[in-house]
Amino acid sequence: MTVLLEAEGLTKTFGSFKAVTSMSFAIQESHCVALLGPNGAGKTTTIRMLAGLLAPTNGRIGFQGVREGGSHRERIGYLPQSPSFYNWMTGYEYTVYAGRLCGLATSEAKAAATKLLERVGLANAAGKKIGSYSGGMKQRLGLAQALIHRPKLLIMDEPVSALDPVGRRDVLSLLRELKQETTVLFSTHVLHDAEALCDDVIIIREGQIALQGGIAAIQYENRKPVIELTVDSDAHSQAWLAGMKARMRREGEASTSSPDSLAALIKHIEISANHARLQVSEVHAARQMLLEELTSEKIGLLDMKVGHSSLEDLFMKVVSE
Amino acid sequence: MIRLFVMIQKELLELVRSFKLIWVPLVFLLLGIMQPVSSYYMPVILKQAGNLPEGAVIDIPLPDASSVMAGTLPQFGTMGLLILALVFMGAVSSERNSGAASLILVKPVTIASFILSKWSAMLILAWGSLALGYAGAWYYTELLIGSVPTKQIVSSMLVYGLWISVVMSFTLMFSTVLRSPAGAAFSSLGLAALLSLLASLLPKQAGWSPGALGGFATMIAANAEFGTSAFGWSLISSLIVIAGTLIISVGVLRGSPAID
Repeated sequence: MTVLLEAEGLTKTFGSFKAVTSMSFAIQESHCVALLGPNGAGKTTTIRMLAGLLAPTNGRIGFQGVREGGSHRERIGYLPQSPSFYNWMTGYEYTVYAGRLCGLATSEAKAAATKLLERVGLANAAGKKIGSYSGGMKQRLGLAQALIHRPKLLIMDEPVSALDPVGRRDVLSLLRELKQETTVLFSTHVLHDAEALCDDVIIIREGQIALQGGIAAIQYENRKPVIELTVDSDAHSQAWLAGMKARMRREGEASTSSPDSLAALIKHIEISANHARLQVSEVHAARQMLLEELTSEKIGLLDMKVGHSSLEDLFMKVVSE
Repeated sequence: MIRLFVMIQKELLELVRSFKLIWVPLVFLLLGIMQPVSSYYMPVILKQAGNLPEGAVIDIPLPDASSVMAGTLPQFGTMGLLILALVFMGAVSSERNSGAASLILVKPVTIASFILSKWSAMLILAWGSLALGYAGAWYYTELLIGSVPTKQIVSSMLVYGLWISVVMSFTLMFSTVLRSPAGAAFSSLGLAALLSLLASLLPKQAGWSPGALGGFATMIAANAEFGTSAFGWSLISSLIVIAGTLIISVGVLRGSPAID
């Protein structure tokens, strides 16, 4: 497997504010990589440095086949969060213009533009002024203009976060196709998108990499058994659920002598309304004890699920540490 | 180089689509024609104004053709420059503010060609409008008043065009440096006014600056005598100023291609 892009010690400071601090990562060829992080973590700054729009304060970016200090702009396609075009141009004209700027001859650019606009579903709107496009159409035009010169790497900043559900679904399915053909890097704060599309994730927090690697590997390494409970909304069950956290903490402190009690098995409790989420160390024993307690206390159980922690749990843990 | 031409083409297309390539030259044409026509008909206009006592005799000698042509240039310098500055005040800043510039600048194009494409489009419109307006003035001057030697016309237009180019370069520079288009128009016109004021108030100290070009062009059109060394220096200093503004614009844009 070959490395397409490699960032080493990437740092960007704005005045005294450190937006990104010594980030190092590599993007493998033909992988789909998500840059994950909460708002303000430095995703956009990182993306812009990779796209060559922002000079890093420190560190270097190496690109396959580009010599040191050279520009890799010919090899990337870039789509910002909310792309803005020239509203007086038509979608077709803009795509051709983008192709011409990337060094295509007029006829090549025209052929590629027609094909790409059809592919992103803009064939009917290609002759209309961009000013009349909706948000989803602009995003799709953004994809077309970014892909016009067949880039090695497609870089996108929050490609779907500003779209309505329909536009979002369209763009995501387009991305699913595209990742078969080219290497894709996109930033997002929506975990579900990363999980559904990507091979690798880079989770960043406060301008630093908190965790990176293949999604499957990360999930496997960090998965923990989880029991989820939903109870009736009657007063008794609610009181039991509400008191659970305090009770477990009390018992946990008291029962240092008996490591087999339920309290000792529970690592983490999250309670919201009539729902509880318990991270446990021994799933079979914990389930048994929990069921016994539910029966003896006569709790109205609605739903009980046993499973593993998701990427979201991991994400929440990583970014809130 | 091809990319620069593609970008200039795009700028010109924008000028066509927004009708600027049509109405700006027309305004210049109107400004140019007004000078000889109003000089010729001044006695009639005064008579029609009607405030004169009965029997007043109006006898305004017809100015000679050269001085009519010389009088046209300041028209372009006030109204004309104002219009051009307003048309181009957002040349860079509007694209930068909207983010359209960042989408272009991630493409393999140089920042210099981005700036040069804007600058070329500005100069094409400015020179085209000036030439059309001045030609209109020349035509009506020949028709109504008298002939002016071609050499005077062409050389005064070239010198005045250089002055307009200097002011356009100011507009481009301020539109790169400042975020506000209105600020760019105000600053570039202010700087142009300051330069020409200095050149006319302190002809000894500032007579070699680009601000003196307007005066030189007027004198060439009127076939008047002037010092050639100051004239030569003002040509050179103008070229240096234009180059400087372009370098500053490219430098500023390289520092931050997009603003959020």
